Amino acid sequence: MRVKLYGTSTEEKLTDIRLSVRDLRKTFDPGLFEAKVEVLKGLSFEVERGEIFGFLGPNGAGKTTTIKAITEIIYPDAGEIRVCGLPHTSLEAKRRVGFMTESPYVYRHLTGRESLRFCAELLELSRSGLEDRISRVLEEVGMAASGDRTMGTYSKGMLQRVALAQALLGEPELLILDEPMSGLDPVGRRDVRDIILRQAAAGATVFFSSHIIPDVETLCDRVAIVVDGTVRAIGAVRDLLSGTADRCEATFSGAEPDELTTPLLARHVGSGEAWVMVSSEHRDALIGELGEKGARLVSINPVGSTLEDLLMRHYEDVDR
Amino acid sequence: MRAIRAIAANTFREAIRDRILYLFIGFAVVMVLSTKLFGMLTVGDEAKIVKDIGLAAMQFSSMLIAVMMSMLLISREVDSRTVFNILAKPVRRWQFILGKYFGLVAIVAANLLFITLVLVVVVLVYTHQFDPMLIFAALMTMLEMMVLAAFATFFAVLTKPILGSLLTLAVFVIGHMSADLWLLTRQVPGAMTRVLIAVVYYLVPNLDRFNFHTEVVHDLPIPMAAVSWAGLYAAAFVGVVLLLADLRFRSKDLK
Repeated sequence: MRVKLYGTSTEEKLTDIRLSVRDLRKTFDPGLFEAKVEVLKGLSFEVERGEIFGFLGPNGAGKTTTIKAITEIIYPDAGEIRVCGLPHTSLEAKRRVGFMTESPYVYRHLTGRESLRFCAELLELSRSGLEDRISRVLEEVGMAASGDRTMGTYSKGMLQRVALAQALLGEPELLILDEPMSGLDPVGRRDVRDIILRQAAAGATVFFSSHIIPDVETLCDRVAIVVDGTVRAIGAVRDLLSGTADRCEATFSGAEPDELTTPLLARHVGSGEAWVMVSSEHRDALIGELGEKGARLVSINPVGSTLEDLLMRHYEDVDR
Repeated sequence: MRAIRAIAANTFREAIRDRILYLFIGFAVVMVLSTKLFGMLTVGDEAKIVKDIGLAAMQFSSMLIAVMMSMLLISREVDSRTVFNILAKPVRRWQFILGKYFGLVAIVAANLLFITLVLVVVVLVYTHQFDPMLIFAALMTMLEMMVLAAFATFFAVLTKPILGSLLTLAVFVIGHMSADLWLLTRQVPGAMTRVLIAVVYYLVPNLDRFNFHTEVVHDLPIPMAAVSWAGLYAAAFVGVVLLLADLRFRSKDLK
C-alpha cells in the first residue's frame, strides 16, 4: 500500500507545483535538404509535490525531448519550464533534481563508487559522511556488492541501477526518470518500482516516462498522455478511465453464441458455459435474446477500458 | 570551481586508464631514446643533435597526445552522452568546457614531464652534463600545447572527431609556417589570394613564438621579452579560443 506524506490536514501542499511546463515548443533542423521536424507543439503540464507522475506516449511523441529540455540538455524554442518554482536553468533548481537518462550513460573506466563520487563533486555535496552516503545509495539500488568494480564489466541492469543511484545521490526533491524500467528483468523492474515508491514515501516527487503500462498503472498518481508533441490527456488513471465502460461481458449456459443474433464483439465456449462480449448498447438485447432461448444467465458485467485501450485510442486518433 | 576540478580530474583519470595514451608515450620515449642513433648518423656535434632531435620528439609527441586525446576525451563525452549526466547537474556549460580543457592540459603536462625527464637523462648519459635549459624548452612547449589544446577543445565541440583532429593538426602545421605565410602575403600575385592568406595568418597562432630549440641547443641567449611575449600570446589565444568554444557549446542542442 502506498504511503502518502501529504494528508487532508496538509492539503495545501498538493497545490505546491514541483514541475511546471508551459507551452513548450521545439523544432529540430536536421540540416541541409531535410525538412524540419516539429517535435513539441505547445506541450503543457504540471506535477505536484509528492506525486508519482507518469509521462506516457509512443516513440517520437516528444517525451525524451521534453525531459531533455527540463534538464537543459536541449534548448526549447519557446515555452517556460519551472522546477520547484525556479527557472529550470538556475543552479538552485538543478540542485533539487535527480535525473536518470533513458539508457545508462556511464563512464566505463570508473567503478560504480568512483562514478558516484564524481557526481557528488558536481552536486557539491559535503565531503564529510560522503562515503557512507554513497554506500547507502549503492545499497538502496542493490549494488553494494559490485560498487568497487569497473562499470565496463557491468550488465545493462547493473548500469541502470548505478544510473539510478547517481540520480538519488543528491536526495533530490524532484526525480526525473526517463524509461527507468526499460531493459530490466522482472526482478529489476520490481526493485526500481520499490525504489520509486520509497522515494515518494520519503517526500520526493517522481516524474517518469515509461512504455510499461502495468508499471504506470501500479505506481502513478497521475499520468499525462503525450502524442505528437502535445498532451492529449492528463489526470489520475481512474479519472481518465471513468465513464469508459462501453462494453459488457456475459457468461451463460443453455445457448450457443453462434445462435445469437445480437452482434458480438468476442465469444468463447468453455465446458458447459459460454462467454461473450457485446457493446453496452446491445446489453439489453442480449439479455432479452438469452431469455427467449431459455438460456441461464450466470453473470453480466460492464467492462471499462484499460489504460492501454485509452493510449491506443489516442495514438490511433493521431494516425488518422 | 569544484565542478571544473571534478571534470578535469575525471578527464585525467579517463585518459590514464586508456591504453592508447601509453601507446603515444611509448612512441615518444622510443623517439627520444633513438636520438643517439641520429647523433651517430649525422655529421656535427653529437650532443647538440641529441638535444635538437630530442626536443623535436618531445614537441611532436605532445602534439599527438593533445590532438588525439582531446578528440577522444571531449568528443567521446558528447557521443557517449555521459555529458547529459553532467549538464543535468548544477554545472554550467562553460564549466564543462574548462574542466575538459584543464583535464587535457594535465594529461599533456604529465606526458611532457615524463618525456622531459627521459630527455634530460638521455642528454646526461651522452654528454655527462645536466642541461637545465631543456626544462625551459619543455615549459615553452607546454605553452604551445596549451594553445593547441584550446583549439582541439574548440574543434571538438564544433565538429566531428576526425575533422576536429585534422583541423587541430592543420593549426599545428600552419602555426609553424607563420613566417612563410607572412612572406607569401607579400609575394603571391592576386589581391584576393593575399587577403585569404593574411586572414589565415592572423587567425592561426604563430607557434614558432614558443620554439626556443635553437637557443637551447646552441646555448644562445634567450631574450626575456620574447619569453614574456610568448606567455601573453598563449594566454590571449587560449582565452579567445575557449570563449569561442563556450559560445558554440552553450547554444548547442545535445542529442
